[in-house]
Amino acid sequence: MILQLITNPIGVSSLAKREILRFLKVYIQTLLPPWINSALFMYIFGIAIGGQLNFTVPGITYLEFIVPGLVTMHMISGAYENTASSLFIGRWHNNIQEVLLSPLSYLEMVLGLLAGGVARGLLVGSGILLIAFTFTGSGIRHPLLLLFFMLMITVIFSCAGMLAALWADDFDRLNLWNIYVILPMVLLGGVFHPLNLLPDILQTFSRFNPIYYLMSAVRYSVTGTAETNIWLCAAMAFLLASLFGLVTVILFKIGYKLRT
Amino acid sequence: MRDSGNAIAIHNLCKSYKTLEALKNVTFTVKRGDFFGFLGPNGAGKTTTINVITGLSNYNSGEVRIFGHDVTRDYRQARQLIGLCTQEFNFDPFLSIFQMLVYQAGYFGIPANEAGQKARELLKRFSLLDKQHEKYRALSGGMKKRLLLCRALIHDPEILILDEPTSGCDLELKFLIWDQLALLNKEGKTIFLTTHYMEEAEKLSKTIGIINHGHIVKMGAKEDILRDKSLQDVFLEVTGIE
Repeated sequence: MILQLITNPIGVSSLAKREILRFLKVYIQTLLPPWINSALFMYIFGIAIGGQLNFTVPGITYLEFIVPGLVTMHMISGAYENTASSLFIGRWHNNIQEVLLSPLSYLEMVLGLLAGGVARGLLVGSGILLIAFTFTGSGIRHPLLLLFFMLMITVIFSCAGMLAALWADDFDRLNLWNIYVILPMVLLGGVFHPLNLLPDILQTFSRFNPIYYLMSAVRYSVTGTAETNIWLCAAMAFLLASLFGLVTVILFKIGYKLRT
Repeated sequence: MRDSGNAIAIHNLCKSYKTLEALKNVTFTVKRGDFFGFLGPNGAGKTTTINVITGLSNYNSGEVRIFGHDVTRDYRQARQLIGLCTQEFNFDPFLSIFQMLVYQAGYFGIPANEAGQKARELLKRFSLLDKQHEKYRALSGGMKKRLLLCRALIHDPEILILDEPTSGCDLELKFLIWDQLALLNKEGKTIFLTTHYMEEAEKLSKTIGIINHGHIVKMGAKEDILRDKSLQDVFLEVTGIE
């Protein structure tokens, strides 16, 4: 349905290409770090420490447990950082006007910018899964479901990055959301631990944490082991992606901090 | 007010920034093919008017049409017809100037091959072809000015809007830009020029509008406005500057 609303496909693909090439050109900063970090996490936590743990999730090793968490964590930060930095720098240098002056619709502008975040998130996530395969040798149980969740997660956090870039007036404020909101939610969402290892109060908090459901969904898609109802996760992911997408398009339409 | 004979038609346009009324019931038209000089002191409302026309500013009330297309309702059609040469050098710092022009053309729906050819033609026309692989920061101030013109023209717009295009230029560059603007107007483009240089407006414009404190205080054909006075005298008279 969204594709039918695109009347300037060349415009959208030009913007998308610009956004994708922007992060590919600096792959040393954008792609290699999450892959290297994940490999180190897998070795240190998954093998060196994980091998000593009395791990309680049946059917999977601790290493297999943390892989989907690492994938989700780095997809979130990759997607978020890509759109946040691109749009904020565009506002900072005022070259966002190149896009605002064009006949792209507001939806098309958002889709073009979104493409960079989604592509970066998917590349980061796929790379980590490939690295994980060399450690675990395990395949992916539900690849199509995984693709759906990877897409939803990258859309949600690419939009979140754009919202932060619109809201922030300086670089300090741009990083606030990532440091004080997203990262704690990601870590408490179960990258390294099953929910039942937490104290009751944090378990309750985690049940209100949408990232916990997204991470559980990715874990189910990769390992076949679920802590939550997968259809609830799918519905929530789709609703969140739609909501964040809609809010972003509306802010572009009203010109929030884009037009005077 | 749907009149495609007018390139730009502005009716009762009002725009405020918090407590400052920047534009107060501004009404005027610019005919297709005109060379319109838009003058006014600093803060008079020139750039605000341009921003509203191009969609970079919202407005409180009134109507703005580009060849009959409302800039809010039919913003896509309106923007397709406008090329803006901004006052500031707001280029993408990560791209070469050739890439920047090709992407810009792409946003206007021009395929990459055609965009590349068009970019080379424009870079050649403005003597920047040998700099095509440089980033804009490597260019001199005069080159950046010419690049602004290339970017504004990349999609072959019907209307070229220029916000003080020769400010800070040396004489040679000023003459080059004047020649190009006159040529573009001769080729059929409608030119909307804001400037602080009276001789520039006097030399190039066919129609002149003067804005002061958000009001249009003078509007008409250059010959009618300059019957027995210089443009500078008219400007000082209507703006009350002593």
